[in-house]
Formats: sequence, structure tokens, C-alpha cells
Amino acid sequence: MPGRRVLITGVGSLLGGALARRLEGDPEFEFVAGLDTRKPRVSLERTELIDADIRNAVISRLIPQAEVDTVVHNQIVRRPGPEMSPRAMHDINVIGTLQLLAACEKANSIRTIVIRGSAGVYGAEPHAPQFFTEEMTRLFPMRTRFQRDVAEIENYFETYSRRHPGVVCTMLRYQPGIGPSLETQITRYLSLPLVPTYLGFDPRLQFVHEHDALEALVAAVKTPVRGAVNVAGPGTIGLTRLVRLAGRPTLPIVPGLFDGATALGQRLGLLDFSDDFKRLLRYGRAADTTRLVEEIGYEPRYGTVDAVADYLRTQGGRRMLPSLRQAVAP
Amino acid sequence: MTTGARERVRYDAPEPEPAAGFLRRLREGLDAGLELPEAVSRGAAGLSGGARDLLRRTTRRLEGDYEEDDWGFDEEFVELVFPLFEFLYERWWRVKATGIQHVPAHGRALLAGNHAGILPWDATMISFAIQREHPLPRFPRFLVLNWAFDLPFISVAMRKVGGVVASPYNAMQLLERDELVAVFPEGVKGAGKPFSERYRLQRFGRGGFVEIALRTRSPIVPVAVVGSEEIYPKLGESPAAARLLGAPYFPLTPTFPWFGALGTVPLPSKWRIEFCQPIPTDEYGPEAAEDRALAFELSERVRETIQEKVYENLVKRGPAFV
Repeated sequence: MPGRRVLITGVGSLLGGALARRLEGDPEFEFVAGLDTRKPRVSLERTELIDADIRNAVISRLIPQAEVDTVVHNQIVRRPGPEMSPRAMHDINVIGTLQLLAACEKANSIRTIVIRGSAGVYGAEPHAPQFFTEEMTRLFPMRTRFQRDVAEIENYFETYSRRHPGVVCTMLRYQPGIGPSLETQITRYLSLPLVPTYLGFDPRLQFVHEHDALEALVAAVKTPVRGAVNVAGPGTIGLTRLVRLAGRPTLPIVPGLFDGATALGQRLGLLDFSDDFKRLLRYGRAADTTRLVEEIGYEPRYGTVDAVADYLRTQGGRRMLPSLRQAVAP
Repeated sequence: MTTGARERVRYDAPEPEPAAGFLRRLREGLDAGLELPEAVSRGAAGLSGGARDLLRRTTRRLEGDYEEDDWGFDEEFVELVFPLFEFLYERWWRVKATGIQHVPAHGRALLAGNHAGILPWDATMISFAIQREHPLPRFPRFLVLNWAFDLPFISVAMRKVGGVVASPYNAMQLLERDELVAVFPEGVKGAGKPFSERYRLQRFGRGGFVEIALRTRSPIVPVAVVGSEEIYPKLGESPAAARLLGAPYFPLTPTFPWFGALGTVPLPSKWRIEFCQPIPTDEYGPEAAEDRALAFELSERVRETIQEKVYENLVKRGPAFV
């Protein structure tokens, strides 16, 4: 049996590069290609790098040429970088996915598509079930731009999947990542000298450790299943406990003033919270990982609390508050 | 974490004088140029064992060293507020709980009670009765009206003592983890009914709780609560205020809202809680959950049981306040 041929979009991201490196070393994969305009952050040996923009129609020629059977779509922007406008983020996410799926339509060799999507599609809601299962996407109205974008991506993907019953389409819904080498909204948040919170709220949060983020993606490429699968560290952690473990003092803000206060902080260049992130800080979100474990067969190594602990271990010596416990020890 | 043997420790509140002494020593330490941890430790030196323990516990919590389960239930927090519940149970409402043997010591079960009294004090008293009287006490989780989870502080406190958003999915998840789950099938209709209709059970929704019990094969334990109706006698309501706050109703009682926050102090009525004979559901097959007629029948049976026991206990209790 000939080996699998795989294309990875967003290979310039940390996770995209790590995935390419993993698949390179796996004899099951005979050909690995990476699509991105950015350079990969890790050195890759046999991955063929295609320097093209996912929004460009040229990919509809490149993909059929490469004769790949597996496409891993790993270029969904969760948070625009400093030089990226929200508009560009929307374009990369929605138009990029549309272009990619259009290109896949033309390539008859495709058997599997795995998208690294976001659990942000569920939103963050006060009346949410404690753990979202995969069929619970339309319980609440869409509230943020990113949420609408992810829902749109999922819609295109479902349509594609219906029209191509021979292709296994896996939508991975990732919770926010955390880990020693990641820099994300949550790690930036926990590094603030004074951490703003909503007064009177203590949401349940859930994260996926960077190790599990990669391994779950590898497992999904190797054992793809149809439909959506949540990717998260089992369990939850309360925001208050998280911030206390990080040793940061909090600044509780009355909910009605939170938007104004964070907008001010943003103007001063102190912080940068997306709408989704603010809703998480108020209401939180957790997802059920039964499908990941039972159908893809990947058991996360880190639960949410362990993932947080592992991240904080590497942040040692950055505590802002003195250890009170030593003070009152008998 | 929530099951298994637990050692219950009670803490004496620090005397006012030692607290002042602590603060004085703390300030002296800081004035002498000590770092905060050392100053705290010097201040704590003069405290009694119990007070030092409480201080240690509090600082430990301030460092995030405490456990909450995936649902936000915080057993240590419950222990910290125990003295308040104990006071309400023993002194304020003089609760008498019977039939405690009907609450299973292990495994899943669905407690279904009558709901009254605007704020879910009945849920906390049911929970405390099990803590107090059961030979193998366990913490029930209760389904709380969604609306409470929009509110600051209340939402956090609810979660910490075992409240979860009322949804069939949450109830099933908890039962599948073999928890004890309390529901109030009357829902907001029960809690918000006028004083003149006290102890008359409202319609039981669509019998969804029975469906959940059938699906998870959990026995249903009807719970009759007497006394909760008198804690906030609701004389009327203000729909305009309810709309303004986004609340399902805005009650007017003899004390609320006229006395502000003081108006939320519940009246000291006398309570009785009776746990009734469980209704088993494991004799029905898995397809029974789809059977609407069966769900209605069982739901009606639970309702009648509770209503009957409520009347019985009303007679046994006698006058409401003495």
C-alpha cells in the first residue's frame, strides 16, 4: 500500500510546524507538504513548502497537482497579530477555508480533511450546559464576530462533507491552548501585573495543553472520524483559582464598566482582549471530551488543572504576590 | 472527592480582641520594616489554635490552593458556611427532618421536592438535613433556575454549594456520575406563587424529571418541605421591576423591598422536611423514557405523594411560627 500524502495549511504556526515534523518522521506518510506565506518555526527535513496565500485562488491549481489524499487545515486565526486587521483575520478564516475547500473539490485524490477549528463556536453563556457535547452548537445566538466566522467555516465544511460522502471530514473544536511554549491571550492575561476580572463572577474555564493539542491533531489525521470532535483537557478550573495559582492580584471591575476599562487599557497598549475572551472571563465554557477519547482514541495526557499547573511551573519566579502560606505556617 | 469519609472540622470564630491584637501586631511588624509574610506570621503568633487554623485556611485559599470539582462545587467553602446553615437549621427554622433512611447512601438518585420561598433556601436546608441526619452524609447537587446564573455573586455562591444550571443534560450527566440530584419540578411556578396558594403544589412542568430518572434508571425520592412557604410571604409582585432586572418575577413581601437588604432576611417559621419512600425506575426498560403516558403517570404519583405528605406535616407542625 502506498503511503499517505498530506497537505498542512498554516505550517508557519507553532502547531502546524510541529505537526509537519511529526508526520515527516512517520513512515505512514510518504509525502508532506506545507502551505503558508510564513516560514516554519522548526526545521523541517522532507516537507515541501509551498509559499502561497490560502486566500489566493492559485491553491486550486496547486492542491490537485500535489495529489494529496489528506488535507489538514490549520490556518484559522484565533486572534489577529499586531499587524493584522480584524478584516484580514475574517478573510483568512472564511475566504481562506472557502478557497481551500474549492481546491479540494477539484482534487479527486482527497480522502480525508481535518480542520483545526474552535470550541468558540459554542460561545460563552451563563445558561450553558456544564459540558458542551458536539451536537450543542446552536443552543444560543451568535454573539461575536469570531464565533460567526467559525460557524460559517463549519457550515461550508458540512456542505462539502454532504456533497462528498467518500471524504472523511473531521472538525476539531479546540479549547484555548496553554503550555510552556505558547503565547496566547490567556498567557498574556495571566502575565498582567494586575489581572482584571468581572466583579462577582467566577467562570469555569477549560484549556488544552500544547502537548495534547498536537497529539490530538496527529491522532485525528491517523484515525479521522466524521463530524465534530471537541479537543480539551478534561475537567475545568475556576478563573479565581487560576489567577490565584498564578500569584497575580486581581482587579475586579463592575460588569457594566468592564468594556470601558478594557478599551482604555487597550488604547494605552496595556492589554488586548477579544470579545470572545471577555465573554469567557465572564461566563466561561467547558466541552465534553468523550468523542475524542472514544472515537479518535486519544486520551489527553493533561487535564485542564494539570495543563495549567504545567504552564505555571515554567513561569516560576514571576509571582507578584508574596507567599502568604509560609507566613502563617505553624 | 465528594464521596468517601470526610472529617468535619469546625472552626471557632476568632474573638474580637485577638483579631484586634493580630492587626496591631501586623501593623507593628510592617512599621518595623518586615516583609508582609513575616509580619503576618508575627501577628498570627498570638492567636488561638482555632483562629490560626482559620487564618491558615484562608491564606491557603487566597493562593489558589483549594479544590473545586468540574462543576464548581467547593466542599471546603460549604464547610466554611456551615455555621450559618447550622444556625438556620437548628435555631431559626427549627427543622425536623424525617424519613432520612429513604435517601440512598450510595449511587444515583433524584430528589424531587416542592418549591417555595422565592430564594432557594429549601434546597440548602434539604442539603443540610442530609448532612446532619444521614449516617453516610453526602452533598446533593441541585438544579437551579438559569436566571440565577446571570447574577454576580449569587451565581458563584450557587455553584460553590452544589447548584448547577437547570437543564436535562446537566441532570443526566450528574446522575451518570452517581450523584444525588435535587430538582424542584414546579420550578418558578412554585417559588413565585402568592401566599394565598401556599402548600398547594403547582403543575409539574412536562414531567421532564421523570424522563431523566427513567433514562438514567435513578430512583425518585419525593421530598415534602413544610415551612418554606412562610419565610417570604408573597403578597404581590411588580412586573415592571421584574422586567427591569430581567428576573422571572419581582416579589413584594411584608418586608421586601421596603426594608432593602434587611427585607431578604427570611422569617423564622417552623420547618419539617420529610423524605418519602423512593419510587424505583429500574423496572422499566430503556424505551420507557420515550413513553409520555408513563412519564405523566409517574410524575403525577410523585406530585400526589409530596402533596399528601405536605398536608400531613402541616398538621404535625401546628402553628407556623411558634
